[in-house]
Amino acid sequence: MAVGHGDSSSSDKKSTDALNDLQTFNAENLQSNMKVIYYSRTFLSIIGGVIAGILGFKGLIGFVFYFLVMAITSAALTAKAKFSIHSYFDTWNRVLLDGFFGGLMSFVLFWTFAYDIVHIF
Amino acid sequence: MAEDLVLDTAIRDWVLIPLSIVMVLIGVLRYFVSKLMRSTQVPDGKIVKEGQVIVRARNLRAAANFIPPKSFRARRAYFSNEENGLLHVPKGQAQNPQAQMFSDPNMAMDMMKKNLSMIIPQTLTFAWVNFFFSGFVAAKIPFPLTQRFRSMLQNGIDLSTVDVSYVSSRSWYFLNLFGLRGLFSLILGEDNATDDAQRMMQMSGFGFDPTKNLGAEKDGLDIVQHEWALPKFEQRAEAVLRKLVS
Repeated sequence: MAVGHGDSSSSDKKSTDALNDLQTFNAENLQSNMKVIYYSRTFLSIIGGVIAGILGFKGLIGFVFYFLVMAITSAALTAKAKFSIHSYFDTWNRVLLDGFFGGLMSFVLFWTFAYDIVHIF
Repeated sequence: MAEDLVLDTAIRDWVLIPLSIVMVLIGVLRYFVSKLMRSTQVPDGKIVKEGQVIVRARNLRAAANFIPPKSFRARRAYFSNEENGLLHVPKGQAQNPQAQMFSDPNMAMDMMKKNLSMIIPQTLTFAWVNFFFSGFVAAKIPFPLTQRFRSMLQNGIDLSTVDVSYVSSRSWYFLNLFGLRGLFSLILGEDNATDDAQRMMQMSGFGFDPTKNLGAEKDGLDIVQHEWALPKFEQRAEAVLRKLVS
């Protein structure tokens, strides 16, 4: 993965017990974390599209491949956050869903491009 | 896929690849041209000052519950008392927003430039694609689609017997236009991706009135219900310190 969390991107979560329901996130850091997610998803959807095209996936298999890539991305991001999602993001949806459909368009484009160049001519 | 079309490899070399490369390069060019044309505004000192006051007041409102009630009240009085509070705007001093808009023609100019730098390359590329590459079957998407997509994907080919998944060159241009956004945000940084959103913000902020913002922020600060979030932190601190000592 081309991007990672810098030291500054760890959100402030100071309070521990009895205060867990309080919102103690640093908005800027949260924003930067989400940007990291967006970049890694876009990057991986482009790379995944090229791979799917070169391997010649057709129809449903290609979309399944996209879901697989995104699932792997989510897992990798979770691992990168050292499995404590809540100290970096406010909800799980940030890791699992954000940028999911934004990447689909790039994926389809690069999938088509690579597939055409390699297979149909 | 019984009746596969046989496409000439020359189409790949002279239509598909050049078209895609040109789209990417034009996106990069557009980014740099709009960067060059962006005029740097000299911000007005008073407006900047008011903006900073608003930011400070907003921070206070957001973090109100983390300071003791007394401190919060003192800060609120500092911002919003009726005599010399920072957010208090004396009557009659409010500037007419319309007049302000006309006094700064740079703003309208800037917006027009930005719009032009989007529209002109797009029209030119579209004309170029139409002129050189009209009528090619340039690509084939690797998944089946319904007939409904025919007008979208086979723009420029008037054959109803061709399988829908074949894409004409003009439609490949459109696919590129939408699909390359992700790539641009990777290679050009985030400004490009947020360009549209930024423009919208500018539109709505066009001719905005800082004094009105001050008033709104003052009202917001006045109605904050203060509720201290850390009533027990002294005990906790004591416990921690005792643990350290013993």
